[in-house]
Amino acid sequence: MRIKKDMKLADVIQLNYMLIPVIHRFGINLGFGDKTVADVCRENEVDINFFLQLVNAYHDKDYFPKEELQTIPVKNIVNYLKMTHSSYLNDKLSEIEQKIISLQSEDTEDQKYILLIRNFFEGYKSELTEHIMHEENVVFPYVLAVEEIIKNQNFTERNREIFESFSIEKYEEGHNDVEEKLMDLKTIMIKYLTPPANSTLYHTIIQDLFKLEEDLNYHSRIEDKVLTPKVILMEKSICNLI
Amino acid sequence: MARSTILIADNSCMIRKGLRSILQNLENSEVIQLIDNKEDVCGIVHKRKPDILIINPDMLPGDCLDVKRELFNENKLSLILLSNRKNLKNDLKADGYINYMDGQNTILDMMQEILNKNNKSSFPNKNSETISSREKNILKHIALGLTNKEIADQLFISIHTVVTHRKNITQKLGIKSVSGLTVYAILHNLISMDEVK
Ligand SMILES: [Fe+2]
Ligand SMILES: [Fe+2]
Repeated sequence: MRIKKDMKLADVIQLNYMLIPVIHRFGINLGFGDKTVADVCRENEVDINFFLQLVNAYHDKDYFPKEELQTIPVKNIVNYLKMTHSSYLNDKLSEIEQKIISLQSEDTEDQKYILLIRNFFEGYKSELTEHIMHEENVVFPYVLAVEEIIKNQNFTERNREIFESFSIEKYEEGHNDVEEKLMDLKTIMIKYLTPPANSTLYHTIIQDLFKLEEDLNYHSRIEDKVLTPKVILMEKSICNLI
Repeated sequence: MARSTILIADNSCMIRKGLRSILQNLENSEVIQLIDNKEDVCGIVHKRKPDILIINPDMLPGDCLDVKRELFNENKLSLILLSNRKNLKNDLKADGYINYMDGQNTILDMMQEILNKNNKSSFPNKNSETISSREKNILKHIALGLTNKEIADQLFISIHTVVTHRKNITQKLGIKSVSGLTVYAILHNLISMDEVK
C-alpha cells in the first residue's frame, strides 16, 4: 500500500513500525494524535515530497522512485543522510555494544567467546565510524559546494578550492561495502557459536544486527543511486560553465 | 543454483494470475509466461523450454500421452495438471496434480517436491561441505594476518592457488572478512587468541 499525504501519520506507523526511526530522523516525534502526514510535515518544516518518496521507498522494497528522488535538492538529501549517520553513531552502534557487554558480564564460562564477539564488533564500529567521517568531512562539503556553484553560476574562491580537490568519481570508487563485516558477525553468531546462558539477550543482538544491516543497505542505496548520479550530472554542467 | 522455469496454461485469467502469485513463494523458480490460448501451447513450450509446465487438461492438444511424446522427448519437462476435476489422477498420467480446491500449502509442498527432484539429479548437495585440511592450513595463515603473497611463499604454492583456496573457504563458511575468518579460526582452535595481532 502506498503511503499518501492525507493519511494519518499514526496509521502509517501502524502499517510499518520500522518507519519510527525514519520519521525521527526528520525531527518528527511521536504523539501526533490524528494529524495527517501533510500536517506533521508542515509543522516540522519537512519537504512533503521528499518525505513521501523516502518513507515509501523504505516501506516497499520494490518501490524506488529514482527520478523523483533525484529532483530533491542536494542539501535536503545530505541533511537526511547526516541524521541517519548520527543515529548510527550515537544510538544504534552503542546500543548493540552495550548489549554485548551485558552478555559478557553474565556469570558463565562463555567469557572467551563473548570477548571475541566484542572485539569483532569494536573493529566493525571503528570501520563504520571512519566511513561516516569521510563522508561528513570530505564528501558532503564537496557536494554542497557543487550545489552552491550551480545555484550562483559562479565560483567563490573557497568553492573553487573544494571543487578542484575532489570528485564524486573518487567517492563512487572508494565507497565500499559497509555491511560485509556485519553479515560475517551474524553468520558467526548463527552458525558457529553456542549461545551463552542468556540466550534471550543473544537473540536480541542478532535481531538488532539484522535491522542495522537492512537500515545500512537502504542508506547506501540513497548514497549510490540518488546522491552520486545527481552530483555527476551537476559536475558536468559545472564543467560547461568553465 | 539455476532457477527453474515454469509455464502456466489455463483458460481463466484468475487461475493463471492467482497461481502465479502463489508460486512466488517458491525459491529458485520463476513463472516465465502465462498461456491463455490452446493453440499457443506447443509453440511456446518449444520456444521457451521450461522446466515445468502447469496446464489445464482442456488446453492440451490431443490426449495427454500424445503431448508427453511430442513435448517431452527432447527436454526434461515436468508436467503438472491443473483442474477442478476430481480423480484426474486415474485418467491422466502426470508428474503432479493441482486441484482448484487445493490450499496454498498443498500446492507449494507438491511444487517443492518436484523442484527438489529436478535439482537433485544435476546438483550435488554443496552446502554441507566442510573445509579440507589443506584449506584449514590456509585459513590459519589468513587468520595470522599474512597476505596472499606471504602465504604463497611460506607454503610453496602460487598466489593464484592461495586466491582459489580463499574463495572456496569463504564460500563454504559464508564468511568474507579477514576478521570474521579469524574468529572462526579461533573458535575451531586453528590458532589461539594470543596469536592474533
Ligand atoms: Fe553514509
Ligand atoms: Fe556510505
